[in-house]
Amino acid sequence: MPRLCCCSCLEPRRGRTMSKKPAAQPTLHKVIMVGSGGVGKSALTLQFMYDEFVEDYEPTKADSYRKKVVLDGEEVQIDILDTAGQEDYAAIRDNYFRSGEGFLCVFSITEPESFDATQEFREQILRVKNDENIPFLLVGNKSDLADKRRVPLDACRERAQHWQVPYVETSAKTRDNVDKAFLTLIRQMSRLKKGLAAEVEDEEVKRRGNCCIVC
Amino acid sequence: MGPPPVVTGISPKEGPPGTRVTIRGEFLGTSATDLIGLKICGCDCLLSAEWKSKNKIVARSGPCKGRGDIIVTTRSGGEGTSTVQFRGYHESIGPVKESAVWVEEAAPPSLPWGRRPMSPTTYTPPDPLGLSTEGDDCKFPEEELHEMFPDGSGKLSDDNFQPGWYLLEHHSNTSYEDLKAGMVFLQRKVESQKEGQLSFLKANTGAVMDQLDRLVLLKNMYEEDQRKNGKEPLPSLQAAIEESITLADSLFSEILSRKDNADKTREALSLLTRHKFLFQLPASIDRNIRKKEYDLVVNDYTRVKNLFGNTDVKLFQKILAEIDKKIEDLKEKLYTRMKTMPINVQEQTKYIRLLISLNWDGDAAWVAITSRKEYLMTLMNKVKDHFKQKEEQESNEKGKRKVKESESCGGWSAVRGAWAAAAAGALAAQLHALWPLARRYFAGELAGEPQSTQRQAELKDMIIAAVELFSEHMRACLLAPGGKLVPTDTLRARLLANLRHLREAYDSLLKLDLPSQPLSIVEKVIFDYRVHGMSVFLQRAHKRVKGLADKETWKIEEFTDYGAITNLPHLLETYVNEAFAAIHKCVVSSGRRESPLLVEGGEPANTLHKHTQMILLAYVSVLQDLALHHDDQEFNNSNLSVALEQRLEEGPPAGRSWQQRLLLAGANAHYTRRHTLPSIAAAANTYGFPKQTLALQATKEALLGLESTIAETYLEHKGDPLVGTIEPSIDMGRHKTDADAVIDDARPYVYEIINNLIAVHAEVDSVCGAASVRYVRDICETVCEELARLAASAPPPPPQAAFQQRLEYTLLQQACAEHLTRKAENYLMEALAGIPPLESEEEKRRMDTIVEGFKKRMELQLASLNCHMETV
Ligand SMILES: Nc1nc2c(ncn2[C@@H]2O[C@H](COP(=O)(O)OP(=O)(O)OP(=O)(O)O)[C@@H](O)[C@H]2O)c(=O)[nH]1
Ligand SMILES: [Mg+2]
Repeated sequence: MPRLCCCSCLEPRRGRTMSKKPAAQPTLHKVIMVGSGGVGKSALTLQFMYDEFVEDYEPTKADSYRKKVVLDGEEVQIDILDTAGQEDYAAIRDNYFRSGEGFLCVFSITEPESFDATQEFREQILRVKNDENIPFLLVGNKSDLADKRRVPLDACRERAQHWQVPYVETSAKTRDNVDKAFLTLIRQMSRLKKGLAAEVEDEEVKRRGNCCIVC
Repeated sequence: MGPPPVVTGISPKEGPPGTRVTIRGEFLGTSATDLIGLKICGCDCLLSAEWKSKNKIVARSGPCKGRGDIIVTTRSGGEGTSTVQFRGYHESIGPVKESAVWVEEAAPPSLPWGRRPMSPTTYTPPDPLGLSTEGDDCKFPEEELHEMFPDGSGKLSDDNFQPGWYLLEHHSNTSYEDLKAGMVFLQRKVESQKEGQLSFLKANTGAVMDQLDRLVLLKNMYEEDQRKNGKEPLPSLQAAIEESITLADSLFSEILSRKDNADKTREALSLLTRHKFLFQLPASIDRNIRKKEYDLVVNDYTRVKNLFGNTDVKLFQKILAEIDKKIEDLKEKLYTRMKTMPINVQEQTKYIRLLISLNWDGDAAWVAITSRKEYLMTLMNKVKDHFKQKEEQESNEKGKRKVKESESCGGWSAVRGAWAAAAAGALAAQLHALWPLARRYFAGELAGEPQSTQRQAELKDMIIAAVELFSEHMRACLLAPGGKLVPTDTLRARLLANLRHLREAYDSLLKLDLPSQPLSIVEKVIFDYRVHGMSVFLQRAHKRVKGLADKETWKIEEFTDYGAITNLPHLLETYVNEAFAAIHKCVVSSGRRESPLLVEGGEPANTLHKHTQMILLAYVSVLQDLALHHDDQEFNNSNLSVALEQRLEEGPPAGRSWQQRLLLAGANAHYTRRHTLPSIAAAANTYGFPKQTLALQATKEALLGLESTIAETYLEHKGDPLVGTIEPSIDMGRHKTDADAVIDDARPYVYEIINNLIAVHAEVDSVCGAASVRYVRDICETVCEELARLAASAPPPPPQAAFQQRLEYTLLQQACAEHLTRKAENYLMEALAGIPPLESEEEKRRMDTIVEGFKKRMELQLASLNCHMETV
């Protein structure tokens, strides 16, 4: 068994942060995993977080994960709320969705019912967030089970197009496109936030002026 | 000591006490024994913790309430942190209530409201009222119960049981009807218990008898056994067990070893799949680099370093080395890309960030800044070389045909304009990239050493160097001399275009909020260029004025109060006006944050003043040359008829006699002084220029001087011959004088003088109009002076001649009355004084009669001597 090293990667980074002035906390992006039970939300999350694939199905209630990733050269924090797909918990979803800033809406390409359900999830999210442009990604999971595919690719693309959201096919088992799905969503959120922050920053810059640099 | 544990995942993130939670993260202990502490929301949960791997622990939450961190403590890493939180809450769960918590099938630790009584301690008796408490959602607050029943308890089995508590706790929602039914139920139950033990036995006779039989049977079997095996059965049992162990070992040893092998194989396989990520990474890094997905590479690299950074496994180390090599190559590649110009800032920033993420050991952003500056410098030099070369080419082509056009254009050629535009554009564009980059760098966004003051000084030097190079080029480009052949309209258009380019660059630098020093360098270039433009306009005006001599056609343009003038004064006014207008339009107005050009007392204002003076004085000397230049031609003094031979306007201007030209020049000078100079002053005023007082004053004096010179010249050439004829003429008349003859008229010389004066008057009046007075006056004066001289030199005349002379002087005085100055009158008085006065009244009367007769006879002549052009 390889002994895990701890410091090799974190050390230099930490060292640098200290030599700088107190670095600002990286931006936090709150992502919510939604989709029917058993489509692989938890599997995707664990794969993304820990490079781990869990064969057993253990229904989720609500799990929370958080880690740092580098996006476009910038360090950001991603907070993942893995919600329950089981209908038993439908009632508590509203509360969770409210805090979400971006949504990965997952279905299984082997299960048409889960694809149908994405429609309801989308509606519920739009109702709760009341924002057509909320960062949102449609994810068709279990792409490794191509022989058991029962949701045609065209239908998936069409729906994504209709909603004007990106569509990604992933496999939590082989880790295919897992990073891409998460990073695409975070990038969307990051852009949106920068867009909002841009004006504020502009003013900031003006106020600070440039005297500190060359005087 | 290793790194402290970090918890990054919790599943589920909330639940009541006893919830089974899966905790995930990093460095959660190297083994089960390494794990020495676990707190969830402050509750110690180490007892329930089950260490699964260094990334995973499973535990149960304690009786905590509210949100809190999950803190793992290990021997190897100390106390950890968590990025996620758990929320504990209390909830009552009935057997049929939907639960958001997985109530474990395996025994949960004491749950007072657990679903199933598992042991006597957790046993909860059924409801004594026989009522269901399901769906009892709205629970009565526990705190209030404690308050209401300070010493009580709600538990049926407790000594201090309080029925009120129990009812509030369990039946606060139960309807009255139900409670009544419950009451009946309870009463029935109590009734049935009251019947006592006997009734119990009676009801169960069969079972009691059965149990008695069994007890007897048991006793018999026990006694039998003792008899058979003695009192110590254990040794034989022990021997049997040991024997069976040996047998079992021999039976299973092979199977066990095979199982071990299988386990190992399985482990190896799982290892392989587990680390598939690592094995595939080199290929996927290559692929991602090809696709330019550098972010993915960085993330993968970070992860692999995190997972395998310190591995002892040779194979892993090998792969890691391979990956490291690729990353080194990538860094090199990114570095080269980052500093290869041209590149846009976004892209460059991206590369810088990536390099920072990959721990590039160098100040990437600073390198980017310096290479940008170098690029700007070379770009500007390139622009310069390009246009220089182009200029050369053009001049070579043209050189064969005519004068080198571009050379003669100096700073005004189209090529120079294009150069200025290109350089200004390059400067603005590059600084727009460089400055924000530097700003972010110094804001600490791009790592490196932004704190170092040396860096700041260096940046400042860079910007100043760039701007200075620009300024130097622009001076060489635009402020070059030459351009004599460029038409003024073109020149003006190019000046404006070039100024616009410079200003655009300046403006965009202003927008950048650059420090003031480089800004002022650019501003200075613009300012100097404006001054240059102004001087060029003035020089042109100067040149044109100097060329006015060739423009003089002697054609009369206008009869003014100051005499007939040619178009020279108008041309002067036009030229000066045009120059002023061009200056006003092109260079006077200042752009944003530029200093005003013509500040009173400032350098440019002085230049303007100096030039104006030069122009005006040049004009005066042109006039002078024109007036006094006469190709040895002399005045035509023959007679009156010459002057009246032709009307001025009709004659061919080229053939003007010198005296006419002289008089015209005088009129021009006079007109200029009185009319043109004030208009020029007014023009300067309307354009808001500083007052040109000194220049105007100097010109006025020069013009006055010129006018006197002209008058003197005229007098010299006209008056002297006229005066010269008087003496001979008198002498001629003297011989004819008959001493006895009655004198009834003046001698002919008087008529000759009058005729000559009429001729002069006609000549000057035709040219100078009202201003002609001066010339006639001067000549009259010299005539009178001559008479006085002659009178003084002659001996006192005899009475007859005295009468004659007095008559002649009187007649002259009468004829010239209008033109006599005080001085002239004095001369006449002087002449008269030498003659004895009239003796008798009769002589006086005779004189008056003759004078009257003269006046009548000469009426026409006298009128023409005293009239002006207009009255004719
Ligand atoms: N072959 C294959 N199986 C998958 C994949 N993703 C998930 N699974 C399996 O599908 C089952 C359900 O996965 P989960 O991730 O627990 O499902 P979930 O969406 O979290 O379900 P809920 O938590 O109930 O909402 C598990 O047995 C996984 O092993 C995949 O990409 N390919
Ligand atoms: Mg799940």
